[in-house]
Amino acid sequence: MNNLFAALDLHISIASEEMFKILGFPITNAMVTGVLGTAITVWILAYVSISVKKGKYNRFVGLIQWVFEGLLNSIKDVIPNRELARKITPLAVTMFFFVLINYWLSVIPGLDTIRINGVPLLRSLASDLPFTLSLAIITVVAVQIYAIKHLGVFGNIGRYLRNPFKDPLGAFEGALDIIGEVSRGTSLALRLFGNAFAGEVLLIVIAVLTGFFATIALPIFMAFELLIGFIQAYVFFILTVIFTALAQENHTKDTHDSSEHSPAVTPKAIKQLE
Amino acid sequence: MNILTQFAETVTDAPKGDIFTTLGIDWQTLVLQIVAFLLLVWLLKKLVYPILIKSVDKRQEDIESASKLADEARKQADDTKNQIDKLLRDAKAQANDVVQTAKQEATAAIELAESKAKKHAESIIESAHTQLERDVIAAKKSLRNETIELVALATEKIVKNKIDRKADENLISSAIKDAS
Repeated sequence: MNNLFAALDLHISIASEEMFKILGFPITNAMVTGVLGTAITVWILAYVSISVKKGKYNRFVGLIQWVFEGLLNSIKDVIPNRELARKITPLAVTMFFFVLINYWLSVIPGLDTIRINGVPLLRSLASDLPFTLSLAIITVVAVQIYAIKHLGVFGNIGRYLRNPFKDPLGAFEGALDIIGEVSRGTSLALRLFGNAFAGEVLLIVIAVLTGFFATIALPIFMAFELLIGFIQAYVFFILTVIFTALAQENHTKDTHDSSEHSPAVTPKAIKQLE
Repeated sequence: MNILTQFAETVTDAPKGDIFTTLGIDWQTLVLQIVAFLLLVWLLKKLVYPILIKSVDKRQEDIESASKLADEARKQADDTKNQIDKLLRDAKAQANDVVQTAKQEATAAIELAESKAKKHAESIIESAHTQLERDVIAAKKSLRNETIELVALATEKIVKNKIDRKADENLISSAIKDAS
């Protein structure tokens, strides 16, 4: 068994691996796959938008339109404020499609088998921690920007920093909110990375363990990965929308003492998603 | 050596260094990916999403207008149904009135005919009674005359003789005397 695995040269690396350098900048295998994922994302969305503009519909265009409409409705359900909902739409929807397509790229054949200089060519961008971290940073920063737009700079700071002598409980709550913001970003990044990386490792291990029977066993796990990819993309998307709604929720709670503007955003719902 | 140990050995191929290097987090890469993703969002926001959002809005407007039209059509259908029901109710009421009136008129006609027939029958019976009385009187008269003739003939036969005026007077007188 040991010799068999050694012969197969099972290659698992948490970090994406450098393939070459451009102007001294290291280009990793995840970046190469990411370029492919970006190209596919742009092509799909551009093709659909051009088809819609020309009025040429087919099943694929209908499917993407249906998904897009579903995402818009999800945003509308979480953020009833139409203006804010439309502002967050490009970021949230791009995250969904980009994460979905890049996650699904880990399922295409050739994973860990096509190598250049011993480095696997294909590695899903979703299983690259810098990428998931960058998405999480964008989300957290975007949420803060929308919060500042709604509450003002000092209003937003006031959510976190309160006078401990006047409002000790509020000050403690503010400190917890700061920790919460950091943990939200971290959990967003690690959740997606963990799922995608574990998925890739699972596919590689199953391929190694099943040998020639991989042709029968792998499709089952590939289908499972496609499902997980969709779920992770949707979770990333909806959490981005919910965190944005929460910034507005704090504002409305302070001014109206009512949560009627964001009925879908409940602590229970967030816990379930997280 | 078992499978897990084998994997563990393989993982040790990962680059050595601090935690960020091990996880592949390089700040340059991070900034590059953030900028690249924001560029992608900007590009899609400018070129793709307006078209898709417009189509979704248009479709929702179409659905809403179709829904409104359907509601109006349903309302019109309900109104028409109510009108038809009302017309049917009126027609039934009118028909009932007509039937009622016809029944009343028929009853009145029957009663009139009955009273006329009764009067006619009574007049027939009365005239029949009168005629009968007349016939009885005539019959009585006739019977009386015939009786008188028969009495005379019988008397003549019994007496056998022609009685003259004087004998008659004598007989009558004697009879009156006997009677008194």
